[in-house]
Amino acid sequence: MKVAYYPGCVAQESGKELDIATRAVAKILGIELVDFPNFSCCGSGFIDEANQTLNVALNGRNLAIAEKASMDVVMTVCSTCQGMLAHAKHTLAKDPVVRKRSDETLTKIGYRYQGTATPKHLMQIIVENLGGAEKLRPYVKRPLTGVKVAAFYGCHILRPHDIMEFDDPEDPHYFEDIIRVIGAEPVYYRGRVMCCGFPIQFVKPATAERIAGKQIQEAKRHGADTMATPCPLCHISLDNYQKEAGRAVGEELDMPVLHFPQLLGLAFGLDPKDLGLPRHLADTTGLVEKLSRVAVPA
Amino acid sequence: MVAIPFEVSRSAGPGQKPRFDKFTVNVSEETPILTALLQIRSELDPSLGLRYSCRQAICGSCAMRVNGKSRLVCSTPVGPEFRAHGKVVIEPMANQPVVKDLITDMTPFWDRYRRVHPHLILDPAHPLPKDKESSMTPEQFDQFKETPRCIACGACYSACPALGSDDEFLGPMALAKMYRFVVDPRDSAYRQRLATIQNQSLWLCLRCNMCVEACPKDVRPAERIVDLKRLAIQELGAPEQGSRHAEKFMTNIEDGGVLNEMKLARETLGIFGTLKQIPKGIQMMRHGRSLKKHPPIQGVQEVKVIYSELNKPEDLMHRPRPAGKGVKGGGQ
Repeated sequence: MKVAYYPGCVAQESGKELDIATRAVAKILGIELVDFPNFSCCGSGFIDEANQTLNVALNGRNLAIAEKASMDVVMTVCSTCQGMLAHAKHTLAKDPVVRKRSDETLTKIGYRYQGTATPKHLMQIIVENLGGAEKLRPYVKRPLTGVKVAAFYGCHILRPHDIMEFDDPEDPHYFEDIIRVIGAEPVYYRGRVMCCGFPIQFVKPATAERIAGKQIQEAKRHGADTMATPCPLCHISLDNYQKEAGRAVGEELDMPVLHFPQLLGLAFGLDPKDLGLPRHLADTTGLVEKLSRVAVPA
Repeated sequence: MVAIPFEVSRSAGPGQKPRFDKFTVNVSEETPILTALLQIRSELDPSLGLRYSCRQAICGSCAMRVNGKSRLVCSTPVGPEFRAHGKVVIEPMANQPVVKDLITDMTPFWDRYRRVHPHLILDPAHPLPKDKESSMTPEQFDQFKETPRCIACGACYSACPALGSDDEFLGPMALAKMYRFVVDPRDSAYRQRLATIQNQSLWLCLRCNMCVEACPKDVRPAERIVDLKRLAIQELGAPEQGSRHAEKFMTNIEDGGVLNEMKLARETLGIFGTLKQIPKGIQMMRHGRSLKKHPPIQGVQEVKVIYSELNKPEDLMHRPRPAGKGVKGGGQ
């Protein structure tokens, strides 16, 4: 299938490994990624706090760019981008006042938003377009046997449910289904649907880090070898700020945190280096060593 | 009838470590969890402590955690929980001390409620008319059609991850309640109310939307908090970290259409805050995580047009709001 690829800011800058892993995995899965160098930032929830109409129009433009190229699916790899694009689509459909202001503005720059393109996270595409977790089985070259993976969903892919329309908002299972199919063992813990603390990292770092610390600590108590997340902002909180999070909860956490496409890539037999694992701040060598004991057939 | 295994948290009182007692009850799948708990109490263990009253999602007494989710147990059926988890685990609400078993001391919840002055504050110079009703337009009424539905059950308070991590946060219910008075055209303390939360509490909301899912009355507290944030920025500017971050993020995207992470840190945190981030930057660079400025997107001029058209004050007080998902459970 062919999708408009919306990598989001982080995957294009400090979290480049997410983009690298996404491209590698999409190629294997036969998802053709069409790049649009004119996509703008989704606003990350922050622009929405300052000006809703502006935020909706920015994302209306993003969706209209895909529509102009006759693309039905805009593929995201970030729970927050997914949340913001879906919010914009929802608001444009339900709020005539914002819709009018957005339409008037987009007309001035030569776009017409029609509502035909749907934003979908890669995880959602696997579930809804490729036919579900089971369809990944033929691609698994290195089953992650014996590896315990703690899924960390990232709020905006799940909630609010009436806008996101994906999985159960407090009790999801799609990520764990995928973890099972790639041969690993899912870890069930409450933090998997909780917030990572990222939205207030710049407002009150001590609280943000305590929140991140609690989730990592809980994953660890449940025996996780690694965490994995479909959101690069969660990745920043859980990986980049893991040392600080550990200090906040008084424990050396030492927990590898994978991006969702990296987890798939490892199971598909790709080299951890080619998936950008050395770029993480939390050490992944223990995890990679564990994986190296699983032979990849030539 | 199905045999449903229950695991119920039992605790003798504040500070006591809870244990889980196991019970099996034979009920139909449609049975409300409250009914099953009352069956446990009347047939299996009369010492089980729980709080309830109306049994129809009106009084707001029976909020608890059901398989980890904050719910009114009178309007949550046994079946879906049993089918998803093979059992029903019941715990008291989170973020509050436990009095006994499933009963919590809601004092922290009510304290926060009182702190937002949940009543009309009238301007003595403009008293309400004595001889007729005080009227408002349908558009004005639309602004707070969700919030008066709140039954103060505490489910949102229990579900909130910010409350469990920061005592300063007022929480979803109190802030949604404040919103209801901020947009009430009869209230005269509009700016003062915003000023009391602008400094910290407002910006500690994580926008995780756990409260939106937990609320049995579709008050959608997280969305009301975003409404408050917009009003606060519009009325009071961006004098502190939270609102400054939102404002600076917005202007950041205007420049190149894509986020400039370094610039955002510099502008939100200021010189000293940025200096504190230097070790983190070095650590990131060591791992090849560059913080190089991304070149502007193609068509950045289009983004600038959107800003010039729309980066203006919105009419936040009198805009009709689309309907939500509807009210769960019975009653209003």
